[in-house]
Amino acid sequence: MINRQKDERDDRLERLFAAARETPPDVSAVERNFETRLAARIRESRERKEPWYGWAWRLAPVFVVLTLLLGAWTLVLDPVHPADPGTALVSVAEQVALVDDLTGG
Amino acid sequence: MKEVMPAPQTEKEFVRAALNGDDEAFAELVRSHKAAVLRTAARFARNDAELDDLGQETFMRVYQSLGSYRGEAPFGHWISRITIRACYDFLRERRRHEKDVSLDALEYSVADPASGAAFSSGQARLILERGMSKLKPSERLIITLFELEDRSVREVAALTGWSETLVKVRAFRARKALKRSIGGEDDK
Repeated sequence: MINRQKDERDDRLERLFAAARETPPDVSAVERNFETRLAARIRESRERKEPWYGWAWRLAPVFVVLTLLLGAWTLVLDPVHPADPGTALVSVAEQVALVDDLTGG
Repeated sequence: MKEVMPAPQTEKEFVRAALNGDDEAFAELVRSHKAAVLRTAARFARNDAELDDLGQETFMRVYQSLGSYRGEAPFGHWISRITIRACYDFLRERRRHEKDVSLDALEYSVADPASGAAFSSGQARLILERGMSKLKPSERLIITLFELEDRSVREVAALTGWSETLVKVRAFRARKALKRSIGGEDDK
């Protein structure tokens, strides 16, 4: 019984597909002057000015390269790097002491 | 003396001319392919306004990506892929905006013909439209390409970018979902 019902549904679906395939949709109304409307849309999109922030993101790679260059330049200029945070703290403390000595603080 | 460019003859030449800013060359490409694009798009649009929008959106995409056409496949195939992509995006967008698509606006005078008798084309389209409105965009796309446009598994795979196995699986599931949608809930 269930199988027969399923067969009927399959058959119905096939008939629906066949009928829908038989006549392709009528697009003649939309085809008329389609190029003219499209050309107007293309012109409009060309004329629409992009806001300043529209292209700002395109500069992101430039900023990335600049940051990398600055980082490399800093490394070349000051290649001495303390190996651990403790050494860094001592180095900062020494610099503070030196500044104090020089300024008489 | 100004060099006069010869008029484009082949589609490749029309594409090149359009890329060089020749709007008439692009219009010629549109003229040659609009019928095929609109016929496919009409399977997804519910009225002429939607069809016009979808057709224009497709050709805008063609225009914007013209530079990426390398001429390896025929221009018509290349446009078909863009059309399918645009239709799929259109379905997804529509579904996002209308969670429960109402087709009450459509006039239904759809009486099922006696068992075994043929449906009229209009009747069939309305019944299928109602049934497919409840399907997922991917299911609707595959039913349209497979059953209504009568394309092969290989063609559907090439157009959608899905593997042939995925196309078969999705087609099977989509058909099942459509049967349920059209036939009611009693065969769940």
